[in-house]
Amino acid sequence: MQTIPIPHVDPLPLPGPVWLLTTLLLLVFTLHLAAMNSALGGSIWALWNYLRGRQSEHLYSRRLANDLATVLPTFLAFTVTLGVAALLFVQVLFGNFLYTSSILIGILWLMVIPLVMVAYYGFYYFSFTAQRGKGIAGCVLATSVCVLLGIAFIFVNNMTLMLSPGRWLAMYRAHPNGWNLNSGDHSVIPRYLHIVNGSIALFSAILAHLGMRKMKVDAEYGRWMVQRSALVFATCTGLQFLLGMWLLLAIPREIAMVLLRGPLAGAVFGLALLSVISAMLLILLGSLAEKPMAMVHVGFGMSLVTLFLMVCLRYLLRLAYLKPYLNLGTLAVRPQTGVIVLFLLLFVGGLATVGYMLWLVARSAKSRASAVAPS
Amino acid sequence: MNYPHWQLAIPAGMLIALVAVLHVFISHFAVGGGFFLVVTESLARRQNDAALLKYCRRHSMFFALLTLVFGAISGVGIWFTIGLVSPEATSTLIHTFVWAWAIEWVFFFVEIAAAIIYAKTWESLSARDHQIVGWIYFIAAWMSLFVINGILTFMLTPGRWIETQNFWDGIFNPTFWPSLVARTAVSVILAGIFGYITLPKDEGREKVARWAALWMIAGVLVLPLSLWWYLARIPQFSQLYLNGVLIGVRHAVRGGVGFTLLALVLVLLCGLWKPRWMRAPVVALLVVCGLGMIGAGEYLREFVRKPWVINQLVYANDQRASQIEALQSTGVSHTANFLLADDPASAAYGENLFHLQCGSCHAAGGYRGMKRRVDGWDAEFAADILQHIQMLRGTMPPYAGNEEDRKALGSYLAGLNPAWQFNITDGNRLEIGEKVFASRCGHCHTVNGKFRPLRGVFENQTPSQVQEMFPALGMMSSNMPNFNAPDDQALALAFYIAQEAAKPLPQKFAPAETPTGSSHSQLMRPAQLPQGVR
Repeated sequence: MQTIPIPHVDPLPLPGPVWLLTTLLLLVFTLHLAAMNSALGGSIWALWNYLRGRQSEHLYSRRLANDLATVLPTFLAFTVTLGVAALLFVQVLFGNFLYTSSILIGILWLMVIPLVMVAYYGFYYFSFTAQRGKGIAGCVLATSVCVLLGIAFIFVNNMTLMLSPGRWLAMYRAHPNGWNLNSGDHSVIPRYLHIVNGSIALFSAILAHLGMRKMKVDAEYGRWMVQRSALVFATCTGLQFLLGMWLLLAIPREIAMVLLRGPLAGAVFGLALLSVISAMLLILLGSLAEKPMAMVHVGFGMSLVTLFLMVCLRYLLRLAYLKPYLNLGTLAVRPQTGVIVLFLLLFVGGLATVGYMLWLVARSAKSRASAVAPS
Repeated sequence: MNYPHWQLAIPAGMLIALVAVLHVFISHFAVGGGFFLVVTESLARRQNDAALLKYCRRHSMFFALLTLVFGAISGVGIWFTIGLVSPEATSTLIHTFVWAWAIEWVFFFVEIAAAIIYAKTWESLSARDHQIVGWIYFIAAWMSLFVINGILTFMLTPGRWIETQNFWDGIFNPTFWPSLVARTAVSVILAGIFGYITLPKDEGREKVARWAALWMIAGVLVLPLSLWWYLARIPQFSQLYLNGVLIGVRHAVRGGVGFTLLALVLVLLCGLWKPRWMRAPVVALLVVCGLGMIGAGEYLREFVRKPWVINQLVYANDQRASQIEALQSTGVSHTANFLLADDPASAAYGENLFHLQCGSCHAAGGYRGMKRRVDGWDAEFAADILQHIQMLRGTMPPYAGNEEDRKALGSYLAGLNPAWQFNITDGNRLEIGEKVFASRCGHCHTVNGKFRPLRGVFENQTPSQVQEMFPALGMMSSNMPNFNAPDDQALALAFYIAQEAAKPLPQKFAPAETPTGSSHSQLMRPAQLPQGVR
């Protein structure tokens, strides 16, 4: 029997403790997913409402599409920015697995770059032209949505392939030029659908939260946003359970057992189920009232908690998959303490700077609002 | 040998070059252009110049669309590409500088947020607040350059890091400061060049044209000084690449200087002197000059690092220096993780070795193709010359494999062309001799040229005396392959060498030191590296 080829870990020690690198990875990946869900889920919402809003009776749909048009490029900008950080930390911890799987699907993996550019410029085009409500804006947005769906599929292929070293050599020998997909893995399709459906669900929760805020300015439009997004959120979350079960059946039994019976993974799984059910109930019940209630905000918060727990779960599953080949605890570590401290200080400083700029924007918006308000 | 080699029809390194040149072009504009925007805005507001302010606003939208999308995404593109082409080197850099990249990411994050806010809030923010956001953008963008510059320069001049493995020694390496000044100058040049793309059609046109020209000229004035400083601090073997021996380097130097001077002339004429001449074709030419300048600069930066991708650690073909000895004794078939063919005697194994060892820089045909380079080689000669591969032009990593591997790769290389069959006559002897020389000797020598000239050895020798020396070539130096060409080719070669060596000495005959040899091989010796680095 041929041994499974696994590239050796880098001879240089890890430049920071595993717990810190892991924490940062989980943190920035959660933020990346929140932005990605906003970009993908938001663009699907925008497309649907743009098409619907072309009929004159659906004024709110048109308005929502226009509102989303202005923020989609920003969502994508932060998807990429936060994705870079996640890519950085995942390379330190799992580089020998990720580089290999990336090479095996090299052509498609590299295609992600021009595809993101196409989607990004499409978002900008839509943001400049959506207001007019005619022309090719809808087609351009539809192209961006399709492209983002394609990118998600490539990512799912890579992220599952990096967990399956046993398939690498045969795949490499079949197509050493990188024209591969992880097509033999039964978990790819349910995982992909889980991600896409999840992004619509999460953005619906975000929209419900934004609708609550909008109600302060325009009660009718805000309520419409909350109720419609709550309905989509509940539907997608329900579907997410089915997709989740499909995914659970598609992954190897011993990995599924880790999820169901492992002490840590099982606890995280249980908490994630609890938080998503509570998010669904809070948003749905909160939105049903004539005047949607603050519990929608809590439900939105719980959906973010769910996202973080799902990210943790995904990480634990990755460890379970790679257990035969990798033990992070045995890797040599030589922390670059001074630089780590500098990074953390700059990280806080960077967040404060962005906060300061947003404060400048908010302050100016407030002063303009008070200037135009009737005395 | 650790990772699968991404097998493409073109040299994989070309992909990095393509993505890197485009990214560097836009990302340097992202730094200089941000500086240009906020200073121009400040000027417009101080002078209460509505036309100039309108220009700033329009330019900021163009700036955001180009840098936020193409600039940022192509930067991620470099990550993706280097991970695919040089995973070993990428892993080394990540393990050394992950916190530098994390710090750079913080600045990148602030930069992106500031760019979006700056472009969107011309009407909503007060003049003061808007300029504050502009300055935040520029500082974050320049700091991002500051950090990345440390990692990029480390790849050529790791300096004291090799002994200490100290992060700060790696970042603040010998070429950090000159490179930072040069990159800042390039950013300012590109700010001026790109400033013309949104040049107003009517009001304010002349003012903007002259203003952008000043930026470009300021950058051009600083650039040569910073490059001179930079070149003085690069390693000796890198400096030797610039002595004019290598054609590609010569062309890149001329191209870089030419594009810069042409851009300068265009800006002086059509920007400063007669702004009405600054029309779309001139602007397009300026942008091409800017791209050409960056292309030449990146080509030289990459070339002078050869045969390394990270000096003293990882070779250009992604082999770790520390693994070479083991590969030479054990062989690739017992070491590599991902082979397409297991049987060292098979032709497929030789081809596989070619992709593993050479594929980063070479393909079988096309650009940097091996087919024309090995025309005339037989399997024995090819296998022999692979032992001395690092001596060719100083640009090649040592061969990482055992004798069995050399034979397999030699057979593959020899099989790229049909074997030579000549009908040599008095009429074509010289021509064929020249061809044999190019095939057998020209990779390492010239007769009367700068590159390891043979004139001193063969001067005043008859063709038969020259030919008599051939069988002893392999014994003359440990770096010389055995001579095994058929007799008719040997005779033609001897005839050619004797003829060339008898020619009057060229006026400028001055052999140049080559980037190979002791100075280079001393640097390469992995035994000098600390244990943890190998």
